[in-house]
Amino acid sequence: MGVSHYTVAGLTMIGEPGSIRNNENTPGGRAGPRVDRRSFLKATGTGLAATGLAGCLGDDDDGTVTLGAMYIFSGFASLYGDEAERGFDLAVEEINENGGIDGQDVEIIARDTEGDADTAIRQMTSLIEEDGVDGLFGLDSSGVAQAMAPQVEEQRVPLMVTHAATPFLTSPEGEHDNSVGNEWVFRNCNNLSIDMYGAAQVAAELNATEWATIGPDYAFGYETWDYFQAYLEGLGADAEFTEEQYPGLETSDFTPYISSVIGAEPDGVITPLWGADLTTFLGQADEAGWFDEIEYTLFSVGMGTDLPADGSPLPEGQHASTRYDPFVPESEENETFRETYYEEYDTLPTYNAEGAYRAVYLYKDAIEGDENDPEAIRDTFTGMEHSGPVGEYRFDEETNQAVVPAIWGAVSQDEEWESNVLDPVDVYDVTSDELDDLLADSELPSGV
Amino acid sequence: MDLSVILWFVSIADIVIGLSLGSRLFLIAVGLSLIFGVLGVLNFAHGAFYMIGAYVALAVTNHLIDNFWLAVVAGALAVGVVGVLIEVGTIRPLYERAEGELDQLIVTFGFVLVIHEVVRFVWGSQPYSMDAPASLAFSVSIAGSTFSAYRLFVIGAAFVVMAGLWLFVTKTYFGALVRGTSSDREMASMLGVDVPRLYTAVFFLGSFLAGLGGALSAPLQSTSPALGDQVIIDAFIIVVIGGLGSMFGAFVGAMLVGLMQAIGPQFIAAGHIAIPFVAMVIVLLFRPEGLFGGIGE
Repeated sequence: MGVSHYTVAGLTMIGEPGSIRNNENTPGGRAGPRVDRRSFLKATGTGLAATGLAGCLGDDDDGTVTLGAMYIFSGFASLYGDEAERGFDLAVEEINENGGIDGQDVEIIARDTEGDADTAIRQMTSLIEEDGVDGLFGLDSSGVAQAMAPQVEEQRVPLMVTHAATPFLTSPEGEHDNSVGNEWVFRNCNNLSIDMYGAAQVAAELNATEWATIGPDYAFGYETWDYFQAYLEGLGADAEFTEEQYPGLETSDFTPYISSVIGAEPDGVITPLWGADLTTFLGQADEAGWFDEIEYTLFSVGMGTDLPADGSPLPEGQHASTRYDPFVPESEENETFRETYYEEYDTLPTYNAEGAYRAVYLYKDAIEGDENDPEAIRDTFTGMEHSGPVGEYRFDEETNQAVVPAIWGAVSQDEEWESNVLDPVDVYDVTSDELDDLLADSELPSGV
Repeated sequence: MDLSVILWFVSIADIVIGLSLGSRLFLIAVGLSLIFGVLGVLNFAHGAFYMIGAYVALAVTNHLIDNFWLAVVAGALAVGVVGVLIEVGTIRPLYERAEGELDQLIVTFGFVLVIHEVVRFVWGSQPYSMDAPASLAFSVSIAGSTFSAYRLFVIGAAFVVMAGLWLFVTKTYFGALVRGTSSDREMASMLGVDVPRLYTAVFFLGSFLAGLGGALSAPLQSTSPALGDQVIIDAFIIVVIGGLGSMFGAFVGAMLVGLMQAIGPQFIAAGHIAIPFVAMVIVLLFRPEGLFGGIGE
């Protein structure tokens, strides 16, 4: 490991005019003995231009493919960044050990978005303008992703989103008031729309008609509920929607919300609570007798938090979804990834780890044998067919969304892996046309 | 909306939850109110004090001794000591300064930022949870709803603290000094009251109560660096509603805000967080001195 690193300024080269001069003339040497002001400024300017234009001002002659990884590395959802880092570290190690990308090493510069749009945009600008990255990937928060989409379009750098789930990110601009999709933004994991299609399929099969939700008080919470209802109605299921609660992010006591939901006596609840909020909620829900009172709880982000086994695990038997399941599909590629990952980190890979891992390989496959150029990468991603641990899939040409299935299953403790897994697990394959048909009566875009 | 319609929707469970939220808020708001009532200092760092109480209790049970009650006492005492150090070191020099109130406000706000960063440095930014004491780790069913015995205990603790404070302030010699000094500091000083020492004692008591609130609340909530910021806003609303400087006002205000937080989600799915703010605005408009007023009230 150790290939990825966190940087704050990203201007280290510019402070060393000698190294820039050496980069032009005498590779490998240290700074020259004398540097006057004029040559310093000239070298700085040259360095900045080279960084901005070529984007690969590496230490070695062969150049480096530099990718910017943007995740939440601090705060209540830092778990997601840690998981993603494991994934992209593993990919980088594998790729560099096997000759890199056309002989060039891959380097990841990881930045903390803090789950905040302004911070994320600042980091993105720094990654592009100061570090000259060849491409970007990551993003955990839908709110951040929606704010970033127009920015990457302006900067003309490809962005492979690996976690943030809002359908509006891959709904072409103009399709809906909230749509921000554009030709530079791609997503390699399933989105909220696909996930809620799966949730509606699960819900329609259960002996439950009255449904409620408890979700975070921002777009992701509301969209989950909107899509869940729209798909259940699209499927023609006998369902009533009776209660909705939206506690703020980082709520320390969910008890009033829990009491309101229990008081409405729904048969089932869908919850997109995530990060540490989910952990806090689980403990307080258990204390309030939630799982005795409510027959079915569907956790749409549960397995992302749950697998690493710190914090309260999801109760066995409840339904949860995942964007990637370490045991699905039963392919050699998935098995190899699962075994390698487990050997390296002593835990099963979560979907955030797999998404980040696969993003690096997507860049490798796009750049290999082709030009390392943002527009060329973008064009290769468009409609690209790809294969990874998650299985074989392709990117929809109009939306840039990977067409991958919804995965829902029952939470079960697995002794062999010392982890929660989904068993039994159901895979819901679906096409964008089918999703559009189901959403026809709503104004929601499928984002696929 | 007809009152009977509201009561129809409000269950016993909501009231119990509201009182438990209110109890926690009371422990922080009463200290804030006490310090303002006697010293005239609006302590912005009081929410951060509450947070320290929770973290110290966590640290004690996790690393020193697995005894919940000792951890609570340690949390409260630690915050009391921190309060004394801050009062003696940074606030006391400002009492005599012209426009000193503003300087005090800025100093205490500075400590909000400092404490926040220290906590982040020491414990990180992820939230922690803490188990309730084994003796209270059982469930109680009230009107068909399940509560942990510990939640009910915290409600009881708030009532005991309120009664204790009332007796302390109205029936003891020290309480008489506190009331006298809050009414007229110069007169108290001329009559031989050691005002600086009294101020420090009151600051200790207020800080101790915030630490006690934080430590007692640790098993009922997640503890993260955001905790202090969350509760200080509620505490300010409470003391405005109850009347700055009034202990009884803090108690009533805390319980009202707790009930609003518990019952609000029943009526407004999102946006109910604004209800206590609206209540505060109404109080400020029609009864700017708050529902109650003055130390010992």
